Amino acid sequence: MKKILALVMALCMIFALAACGQSAAPAAPAATEAPAEEAPAEEAAVASSISLWTYPVGGYGSEETVKAITDAFTAETGIEVTVEYLTYADGDDKVNTALTAGQAPDLIMEGPERLVSNWGANGYMVDISDMFDDTDKSEINAAALAACFAPDGAAYEYPLVMTAHCMAVNLNALKEAGADQYVDLESHTWTTEQFAEAVKALYAKFGGTVGAVYCGGQGGDQGTRALVNNYYGGTFTNAEHTAYTWDDAKNIQALKTLYDMEGIDFDAAIVGGDEIANFYNGVFKMAFCWNIAQQLNPNSAGTGEGKTLNGDDIVFMAFPSEDGVANLQGGIWGLGVFDNGDAAKIEAAKTFIKWMCDSEHTPEAVRASNFFAARSAAEGVDLSGVWADNEIMNEYTKLMPMLGDYYQVTTGWAAARTAWWNMLQQVGASDGSEDAIAAAVAEFCGQANAQ
Amino acid sequence: MPQTVSPRLRRKETISAYLFLLPSLVFFLGFVVFPMVLCIVTSFFDANMNANKPDVFIGLANYVELWQDKVFLKALVNTIIIVLVSVPVVCVFSLWVASAIYRMKEGPLSFFRVVFYLPVVTGSVAVTVVWKWMYNNYYGIFNYLLKGAGLIEKNINWLGDPKYALACIIIILLTTSVGQPIVLYVSALSNVDNSLVEAAEVDGATNMQCFWRIKWPQIMPTTLYILVITTINSFQCFALIQLLTSGGPNYATETVMYYIYYTAFKLYRFGYGNAMGVILAIFIAVLSAVQFRLAKES
Amino acid sequence: MSKRNGESRAYRIFSVVVLIFLAFLFIFPLYWILTGALKTPAAINSATPEWVPSELTLRNFQVLFSKRSAPLFQLGALVGPTVPAAIRWLINTVFMAVMAMILTCFTASMAGYALAKKRFLGRYLLFSLIVAAMALPKQVILIPLIREMSALGLYDNIWAVILPTVGWPFGVFLMKQFSEGIPGEMLEAARIDGASEAKTFFSIVVPMIKPGIGALAIFTFINSWNDYFMQLIMLTSSSNLTISLGIATMQAENSTDYGLIMAGAALAAVPIIIVFLVFQKYFTRGITMGAVKG
Repeated sequence: MKKILALVMALCMIFALAACGQSAAPAAPAATEAPAEEAPAEEAAVASSISLWTYPVGGYGSEETVKAITDAFTAETGIEVTVEYLTYADGDDKVNTALTAGQAPDLIMEGPERLVSNWGANGYMVDISDMFDDTDKSEINAAALAACFAPDGAAYEYPLVMTAHCMAVNLNALKEAGADQYVDLESHTWTTEQFAEAVKALYAKFGGTVGAVYCGGQGGDQGTRALVNNYYGGTFTNAEHTAYTWDDAKNIQALKTLYDMEGIDFDAAIVGGDEIANFYNGVFKMAFCWNIAQQLNPNSAGTGEGKTLNGDDIVFMAFPSEDGVANLQGGIWGLGVFDNGDAAKIEAAKTFIKWMCDSEHTPEAVRASNFFAARSAAEGVDLSGVWADNEIMNEYTKLMPMLGDYYQVTTGWAAARTAWWNMLQQVGASDGSEDAIAAAVAEFCGQANAQ
Repeated sequence: MPQTVSPRLRRKETISAYLFLLPSLVFFLGFVVFPMVLCIVTSFFDANMNANKPDVFIGLANYVELWQDKVFLKALVNTIIIVLVSVPVVCVFSLWVASAIYRMKEGPLSFFRVVFYLPVVTGSVAVTVVWKWMYNNYYGIFNYLLKGAGLIEKNINWLGDPKYALACIIIILLTTSVGQPIVLYVSALSNVDNSLVEAAEVDGATNMQCFWRIKWPQIMPTTLYILVITTINSFQCFALIQLLTSGGPNYATETVMYYIYYTAFKLYRFGYGNAMGVILAIFIAVLSAVQFRLAKES
Repeated sequence: MSKRNGESRAYRIFSVVVLIFLAFLFIFPLYWILTGALKTPAAINSATPEWVPSELTLRNFQVLFSKRSAPLFQLGALVGPTVPAAIRWLINTVFMAVMAMILTCFTASMAGYALAKKRFLGRYLLFSLIVAAMALPKQVILIPLIREMSALGLYDNIWAVILPTVGWPFGVFLMKQFSEGIPGEMLEAARIDGASEAKTFFSIVVPMIKPGIGALAIFTFINSWNDYFMQLIMLTSSSNLTISLGIATMQAENSTDYGLIMAGAALAAVPIIIVFLVFQKYFTRGITMGAVKG
């Protein structure tokens, strides 16, 4: 009997020892904690280390790129930055579990739909409105600025870069199908009619699926939203960003047209990333999940700017609309601070934001992303010429004036996104009658508004 | 109890039993039972992710809502379908494979055993990547083969069509489930008392009669064990669904397990998600009770 | 010969053909991962499948090893040299699977023996609880578990994955099945000889259930290696990730580098397949004995 007891004790000890050994192991958080606890002794002290989680915002998915920036920051300020890289597939879940566990990072890099209308609205972010002075407000793009503020006037994001999401077509395929007449290579715009003709020609030539309304979930919803909304000029939310209005008749009509269009298929088995892969390998002739970062490095395969796998030319296009002037979906990315109840950390996080988004280092930070600066100048440094030497980027600036309303800050955005996908899935699985589509639209738009 | 045991001895036995159980109980109570109790408690609250909104006690409201949530009901039905289909199919399939290979020579026998075990070992994350490609609408291997054989004219979007998606998930689940049952059946079949079989054959029993009268009763304990582990396995199909369909298309592959996760981390409704968990746990407990009652009776 | 069990020749040929077809289907995913890991981006992204890679490359592994870095180990203030993160992930995964395996075998064999051979108060209740909890998917206790781990200071720590794995009662059930087969007379004899409980357990029980422990060990190792869900919700820092989780974090925005994924999948699968192949004899022997005795 004693031996059993001894054994149990031994086991407990081994276990405890092992646990200690391990809990000391994640030195990153442990080490950062120690100085942080001493910090409050001095008033308004700045923590000596912070953690940053970043979504793959263009180049910010690459450790090499980000490390160069954070190392420079550390060298200058002495504040260490521990970086974790999230993906769009599981990033939200990771942040949410971390929040549930009370272990959120100090800094997060993403867009207002997450920072402002999700985590900000749920009370997890620090209000950083004191970081915007009048000069900042005049320098920052108005749409980007507005998107970073919650309705109550608190700011949960400091914008760094922005872009317009667009679509892309395979130019070689268009030429082969004799449909290149429908795209305007100069303005990168087209009308709904031209789009429909192009799809028709491509379908007649190649058959199969010309372009897919992907709706398997996860990322890339901006593409399908822009496609449907622009087609007959429907809206997604109201102008005040208080309610979802995608159940308007124009959207139903657009969904019906797309459903009926030969060559355009609703595909619930693929997500945005799969769509791009299918476009890249030549199966699809169009992609709706496109932006400048894709144009610079299609499918992240590193096999050439603006080329498909077979070397076909990729042309980026605005989404088709009746008058040829599209309302493009914007991407606005920046940094926000999670409220971990530690003033020193918050101070250090703000120092980092200032350094990145509003200082002489900003051009570097912007270039790292492969997107455009969200402001005209930063502390006297002119940002308009950041991409002066890059032809593709210059060409792409033609789309920027078409940037539409940034409505992703509407209440319940996370739920609305999923409702949108579920709606597309239901439309795709329906018989395509106007009634069935209208019913699906009404149901899920209602769901989005109920949140 | 055949003879009465003195209370002192019984107490001693109980104490020593619990000492043996202690290490295991620490983990089991600490990391399974305790969270389950928390789960039950939270299910009576309107618990959410909002840091500024305290949890409110709402009694049974979450449970009442569940029965009006058509997605939950659909998920429940799908979960039951997965279990009801995969458990018998795994049993029959592995029994067939086992009976086809158990009399082979050692070499081919262990080859097949290993082959059918491979998907289990490879892990669902890795296996899923390949299956996703095989099911691909545009250039997947199934459409390629079926079209080549002239069986279908138009590509079938396996995972994108509500008619097929759940079946596709179940097929992957099957390939990752049959490994252990086959190993078990092979040895159970080789342990069947051959003299009985031969005696029956002399009496003119047919193949079928031989199987049902002599072999089947002898492999019954194995079958029951396989029923148990396959049932467990069927409830672990989360990774497949998360990585392949996210519950779509049109909720065709929504399961309770995935919907709990979705409710918690996409809709931030912790209390509601926990209420689903409680229902699922009850469902599983009843199922296990039935299986073990069956086991006892035979 | 032909009369044995009276199976017709045609049926046997048929079944061999079906078996070979099935074998292809079961081997194919692994084959595709291993070859995919060595294919060029052009081949792997191509819409027409390349059944046998025409050109082999290590590019995918180079990307895999250069994309993220992490310290080799961290013990308190002692931080190891920086290495490709995939190596650290492999180390983490092995540590996790081995620890889960040791703890599970140890606790489950003791508990299984007690449940099978001892008559004590609460035995029936406890066994019912174990049976009911065995099939419980972890998603059910997801949220309480995250909070519990956080309260214990174990969130984002590999132990947060190990502990619930050990708590999962299937091992206890399995070991109970094995221990049922121990003849009561042997235990009685040991008791009469005056052997202590511990001695009885280690010198009589353990040798008899050894094959079962072996089976449980491999079983737990494989399960914990592949338990993607627990790893996903409990681990966040790149130096704490496991291999399958690490691979998932390497995807860029809205696009998929299939070659990289295949290389990662191969790296995650190959070690465990080797373990399985080496120990498969013990494994098949072990799982057989326990079940047949049920």
